[in-house]
This record gives sequence, C-alpha cells and structure tokens, in this order.
Amino acid sequence: MSRVTIQGLSKKFDGKPPTTAADNLTLQVEEGEFLVLLGPSGCGKTTTLRCLAGLEVPDSGRIVFGERTVFDSASGVDLAPDKRNIGMVFQSYALWPHMTVRENVAYPLKVRGLKQGLADGWVDETVRLVDCEKLLDRYPAQLSGGQQQRVALARGLVARPELVLFDEPLSNLDARLRDQVRSQLHELHARLGFTAVFVTHDQTEALALGDRLAIMKSGVIEQLDTAQRVFEEPATEYVAGFIGMSNRVVLERLQGGDAGWQSDGVIVQGAVPALKGAPAWTAARVRVEDLLVAPADAATPADAIGLPATVVDAAFAGRHYDVVVSVGSTRLQGHAPADGAEARGGRLVAGAPVRVWFRHSNASFHGQDGVRIAAAS
Amino acid sequence: MNASPARLSEQRPVQPPVQAQPAGRWLTRRIPLALFVAALAWLVLLPLVRLQSLAFENDFAGFRSAYSSPTIVQTIWNTVGLALGSLVIAMFFGTLLAWWASQLSPRMRWLRALPVLPIVIPAVANVSGWAFLLSPRPGYLNALMRMLPWWSHLDVGPVEVYSLLWIVLITGFALSAFIYLFVTSGLQNINAEIIEASRVAGASALGTFFRVTLPLLRPVMLYGGGVALLLGLGQFTAPLLLGTNKGVKVMTTDMFTAVSSTPIDFPTAAAVGTPLLVFGIVVVLIQKLLLGNQARFVTHGGKAFRIAGKPSRVAAVGIIVYAFITTGLPIISLIILSLSNYWSPKVRISQWTLDNFAQVYKESGILSAVINSVTVSFLSVCISLVIGFVTACVLVRGRRVPVLRTLLDIVVAMPLGVPAVIFGAGFLFAYSQPPIILYGSWWVILVVYVTLMLPFTTRMQLSGMLALGASYIEASRVSGASLIVTDLRITLPLMRSTLGGAAALMFVLLTHEFSASMLVRSPHNQVMGTILFDYWGNGSYPLVAAIAITMTLVTAVGVLLAMLLGGKDVLNKL
Repeated sequence: MSRVTIQGLSKKFDGKPPTTAADNLTLQVEEGEFLVLLGPSGCGKTTTLRCLAGLEVPDSGRIVFGERTVFDSASGVDLAPDKRNIGMVFQSYALWPHMTVRENVAYPLKVRGLKQGLADGWVDETVRLVDCEKLLDRYPAQLSGGQQQRVALARGLVARPELVLFDEPLSNLDARLRDQVRSQLHELHARLGFTAVFVTHDQTEALALGDRLAIMKSGVIEQLDTAQRVFEEPATEYVAGFIGMSNRVVLERLQGGDAGWQSDGVIVQGAVPALKGAPAWTAARVRVEDLLVAPADAATPADAIGLPATVVDAAFAGRHYDVVVSVGSTRLQGHAPADGAEARGGRLVAGAPVRVWFRHSNASFHGQDGVRIAAAS
Repeated sequence: MNASPARLSEQRPVQPPVQAQPAGRWLTRRIPLALFVAALAWLVLLPLVRLQSLAFENDFAGFRSAYSSPTIVQTIWNTVGLALGSLVIAMFFGTLLAWWASQLSPRMRWLRALPVLPIVIPAVANVSGWAFLLSPRPGYLNALMRMLPWWSHLDVGPVEVYSLLWIVLITGFALSAFIYLFVTSGLQNINAEIIEASRVAGASALGTFFRVTLPLLRPVMLYGGGVALLLGLGQFTAPLLLGTNKGVKVMTTDMFTAVSSTPIDFPTAAAVGTPLLVFGIVVVLIQKLLLGNQARFVTHGGKAFRIAGKPSRVAAVGIIVYAFITTGLPIISLIILSLSNYWSPKVRISQWTLDNFAQVYKESGILSAVINSVTVSFLSVCISLVIGFVTACVLVRGRRVPVLRTLLDIVVAMPLGVPAVIFGAGFLFAYSQPPIILYGSWWVILVVYVTLMLPFTTRMQLSGMLALGASYIEASRVSGASLIVTDLRITLPLMRSTLGGAAALMFVLLTHEFSASMLVRSPHNQVMGTILFDYWGNGSYPLVAAIAITMTLVTAVGVLLAMLLGGKDVLNKL
C-alpha cells in the first residue's frame, strides 16, 4: 500500500482538433484512499488512469507510487505496466475468453511468479470475496455481465497490488446490478483497504464510493474534495451542474437602492441571502428535488427565494410530480408533492400559474466566472 | 459476501526493486526492429531495384528495345483493355453476387462460398478448362453449340476462346471473386438498422440498395476496384495460355518472352515492366494515404447486416447459375478430358480411363513437381506466419516507432501492387548472380513465395489482432505479464483460428502460384503450375487436364484444412 503522487502530468492527443487529456495535473492519492475521477466523456479522466497504469505515455510530468518513481519525463523513467505492481478493472471486463475463471484470476500470480500466493490459496480467497467460488471452472462466455464484472474485480485484487485502477467498471451493467456491485465494491474496499483510483461519469457512483472526488474538465481538476464537500459546496458552476444542481437561476440586483432582485425579468419574492462582496449578479444552482412547486398564492418561506412561474409540463413520478416550469424564458425543473391540492385541483396543467421556491441552504451561488460565492459572515 | 478472516493487505508480495532506466534502451528497442524492416525491404526491393536499374543501363537500351518494337502499341492497348474490361466485369458480377449472397435464406447460406471458388481453384486449371470448353474446333461447349439449328452449318466455333475478348471475360470472372469478398465484408459492416430504416421510410429493396447500401459501400468498392485493377494489369495466366498462339500479347507476356529468350534479355523485360511497376506502387501508396491508420478499423459492435424483407429465391438461383457457368463448366471439361485418351469433341464415356492420372504419378517430373509445390508452399507458409505476426504486432503497437512502422507498412504492402511476373523476373535476375546465387534450387522459389505472401499474412493477422482489441493485452500487462509472456499466453491462443485460417489460405494461394513460378523455375525445379504449362506446350492435353485436377485436389485439401482451422468464414478473411 502506498500513496500515489502525480506531478505536472500533461498529455495531448494530436488530431483535429487536438485534445488535451491532462493539463499540468497534480494530484495525491493517500494510502488506502478511494479516489474517484469524475467528469463527462472526453474530460481526460480515463487517460489519466491509463497514464497511472503505464498504458499511455504522458508528454510530461512525474508519477510516484510510494517511494518508486514509475514515470518521470525529466529523467526518462517509464516503467512498463507489468513492472508497476498494479491491478486494473476494465470497462469491458477484458476477461480472457480462452481461460476459465480460475485461470483468469490466477494469471496475475502466475506471471508475477508469486508461487507463495498460489500455494496459500489467494485465488480461492479472492474469488470467495466476490462471491464467485461456484464459477471457478466456467469460461467467461458462460457468465452473466455481473458475474464477469466480479471475476474481473477478483483478478484485479488477487495479487494484492499497491494500487487498483478502475476504468468505469460498472457502466456496462444494468441499473440494479450496478447498485449491487457498487455496494460490494464499497464493502471490499472497507475490508481490504487498498488504494484505489476509480474513473466514472456517474455522480451517484462517485458520491457513494469516493473518499475524495476529483471533478475533471478538459484535463484540469476543477475541484478535489470529499464527497460531502463537493455535494454541498461545489467550487464552480461546472461542478455544480455535474453533480446534479441542474437548475440555474440567474439573479440580478434591481437598480435603485433596496429595490430587490429580478430573475430573467421576473421580480424575485423572498430574500436573496447576503453574499461575500455583495455582488449585483449571481447564478444560483439548485437541485431538482430542492426546487419546490407551490400554488401561485402560497407564501415563500423567509429563508427561501421564490419566483412566480408558469407550468410547462408535469409528470407523475410516484411520491411527487416532476414539473417543468418557465420563469421568463428560463426553464426550471422542480418537484410538487403528489398528494398536494395542485395536482388534484388540476392546477399542474400547461400554462397554469404557480410559484417555485428553494431554500438558501440548498442553493449554491456563483459569480460570473463560475466560482462559488460564500455567504457573507 | 463471505467474511475473510485476515485483511488481505497485511500479507503483501515483495516489491520488485526500482528499475533503473538503461541508457541504451532507446537503441535496444529499435535496432532489432530496424534490422527486421531492413531485411524485409531487402527482400522486396532488391529484385525490383536491380532489375529496374538494368532498364536504364547503356543509355536506356532496355527502353529503346522494348518500346521500338512495332507491336508494342498494340500490346499496351491489349493490357489496358484487359485491365479495364476485366475490372468492369468483375465489379458488376462481384457486387451482384455479394448482393445476392446477402439475400439468401438461412438454409441456403452455404451458397455464399460459391463465388469465392475462382480464388480457390488454380488459375491454370480454370483457364485450361475454358480452353477445352471453347477451343474453336474440339472445344466441348463449341461442339454442343454446333448442334443447335442456327449453328449447325458451322465446322468451327462459334466461340473463339483464343481471343482478347475471352481472355478479358475469363479474367473478369476470376477477379469477380475478389470484388465479391470486399463487398461482402463491406456489407457485413453496415448496421442492419440503417437498411431497415430506409425500408420503413418507404424505399423499395432496390431503391434502398442504390440510395443507401451502394453509397455506404463506396470506400470498399474503391479499394476492391483498385486491387482488381492491379490484378488485371498484371494478369499473366490467361494471356499466356490463350493469347500466345494467336499473337494476343500483353505486357506481362512480353516480359516473359524477353526473359525466356536466349540469351535472356533482362533489360527489355525490365523496361516493359516499368510502367506496371510504377502504376502498382502509386496505387498502393494512394490506398495507404486514403485509408490512413489501420487502427481506425477496429470492428465495432452493432447488428450485423441482414436482409430486409423476404429471402430471395432469384438470388439463390443466380449464384448457382453463375458458379456453374464460370467454375463448374471448366472443371467438368477438365474431368472429362482427364479421363479421355485424347481430346475430341465426341465424348465417349465407354472409353474413359484413369491412365492419365496413373501417368501423373509415374512420370517422375510431374510427381516431383507436386511434392515440390507442397513442401515449398508449406515452408513458405511457416515463415510467412512468423513474419506476418511480427509485422502485425509492430503495426498495431508501434506507436513509439512511427517511422519504422510506416516503412514496414509500405514494404509489406508493395507485393500487392507489383505483378507477380515482375517479381519473378526480378528474383530470377537478382538471385542468379553474386552475392547470393539461388537459381536452380528451390530456395529461389521459397524466397519468391514468402515475398508474395507478405501482404496477405500481414493483412489477415492484422485484422485478427485489431478485432481482438487492445483490452485483453492491456489486462495482461497490468496483471504483471511482460510483452512476450502476454503474446505467448494471451495473443497467440486467442488468434489461433486467425493463424490457422491464414496458414491454410496462403497454402492454397501458393500451391497454385503460376506467374512468378514460371520465371524462377528451372528445368529440374518445377512446381505444379509450371509442369502443367510444359505439357500444355507439348500438346499433351489429357495429361494437362489430369495435372489440373490433381492441383485442384491438393488445393481442396488446403481449403478443407482452412475451414477446419479457421472456421467456415475463413475465405472471407482475405
């Protein structure tokens, strides 16, 4: 087990247009930590992971596993993947189709010459950990997707590597199976305590698994923080949008002293909280479930921002309605309680006037440069 | 999940020591590869360069003698006519057959193998079969046609097989197999839903073919057409067997004449070959440029091509009729003649005999040619497989050695653009003088065969490797296996069927190699095709037919082996 240090990692791909997968990236993964690289496709997260594995050669930078420099562009060190003592779980599982489950899992021990591990039954132990002991003599083609994924997990862990890399390992599973394997993985990490770097574009997965999250955009880390902090206090609008704060309410101070605020030409009801630097413009980011749709004549709570809006569409979603409303020309998505009079009274029809509101504490406020503005203390 | 008593992390394998980066690693990586590329370049380029430089010696004496001959203009026209004419025929039939093959009902799928037969059946066998069918006087089919009322007054004909028209037709039929393969593989890459979307949008089957399928096939047809054009330009078998007596000459036969005259006139042969060589290399380079990086052609998922609408019965009948006429008839005529004592338009079944086959095995010349063919082909295949594997590995993984990779890519593709006759002449010249004299031994045939197979072995293994994808290999590397261990334990086992298919297919191509063999053979060093030609020249036609049938049988064994090792679709992997 060792900490992983990435210093000034850069990688560009030629092409039309050329893309920057990693731009002077610096990052440290602590021993036993589960770090998630989160970002949309093309943000460079997989390339960063592949650089760690040695499958991709960075243009410049330094990668150190514990005391071992595995890559350093300055001194020309570039350790081959097989010399890095890592485990990796691939998106496509990449189980070798001509080998049984047992042979697949035993492979890392055999090729590394870890006879002790083979003799001590590491294979059986690891396979038991992922609940696949009954599948040992089957071939990958005879396994379901979830089973293949668990075998791939066992293969990545069996040699007890310093570092385990996960390249979107759950994205090929269907939703239910994904939840199941995810919680198994979480449990495994808690028990085994390996250092892990996990790449995903799914925010739920990232929040559930990561000790810390690194949200990436065009080869740069936008925010590196614990899951809770990222969830509550996204550093930028980009991060806010990516972790589910999809509603964007632009607030502008009206001219003339204490005249209040407007959003897209609509006068804001309720108070806008005091923000550091008292900006005249801010974009509030709000999750769908935090934007509440209420009758037009309902009062806005004191610690909330309210806006008169018009219903565009409403869809039943079990415990609530998913409602699309427009405020000026801005579209917002919110929830209306399913047992509310709004629905029964047929008030959630297109064109009906409603009021939407969200609490200050549920919103994240950002300046024009996208950076989060903290509340004035 | 079951509980584990111990934390796995507590026992940990000993860490490998920090690896110092050897200073000479850059060189140690590149020197063996550079030597490999140089060896292949030497193999391919030496004969071509040596022969071509001969044409320029003595103040272009070769060119002056080649292009001052009174018949050269006609020869050039014949060559161009043969190439373009056979290209048109091949494109038409190849595409039509591929379209038909895609419309077969599941029960009739086996018919898809029929249009590939012209590649499998030795060209010399096919061409001589046509001659026995359509020779003006004794041709079996001509004799049959003369029974028809409107031809009953004829003594000869009505078809003259020894003519440019029939050389073009026969060549076109043979090349249609290549177009068929290209278009079929192109069709398989078209997502079925694209076709279905067009049908649902209201287009008829035919409309869909012309508006959607054909435009999508354009790149494949362009590539296949390029290959067919090159093969047509370098066509040697049909012109030699059918054109020589009637003075229908093309450039390859002119080269052959120059090389087989006494004394051997290498400069003239070289000069005649120059335009073909230049054109071939240009086409190969253009194809490389247009296609760019091979790694882009990683197979993508999605639903394979399937027919929209009902399977077509017309398609099945069409394929059967086409295959019967272009492949079945020549084979039938060979069988009839090989069982007869002499070639006569009257077939007397009562007098059929196996004497001709007995003679094939009695005459030491023929038997040793058969053995020669099989052993040299087998050895060439073994060597080619190794070269092809290394080459494909470099092409797929050689991102760090872009210059060497590009050079290698071009070198191994070149034999595809160079007519086999030119290679034959080049090898004959290059290896019948110091420093390496191989002429007169079977070594020279082996070297030619390995060179000719370079593009095939590379292409087939490359596509197998690309289809495999990178992740199996990457998974092995991160599991701690070195590149060599990965190749031995992962890549090779996974490519077993590709390798088996490639081996058997190359064996088939080599056992009926004719063009290059004609030039590098020596009187005591024959292969099946060349010995057949000798008996053709003697006029021992029943024996020719028996040799042709023997050749076809040897090839058939190869095909069966190919299908066993490489699966039923092995022929489509070309």
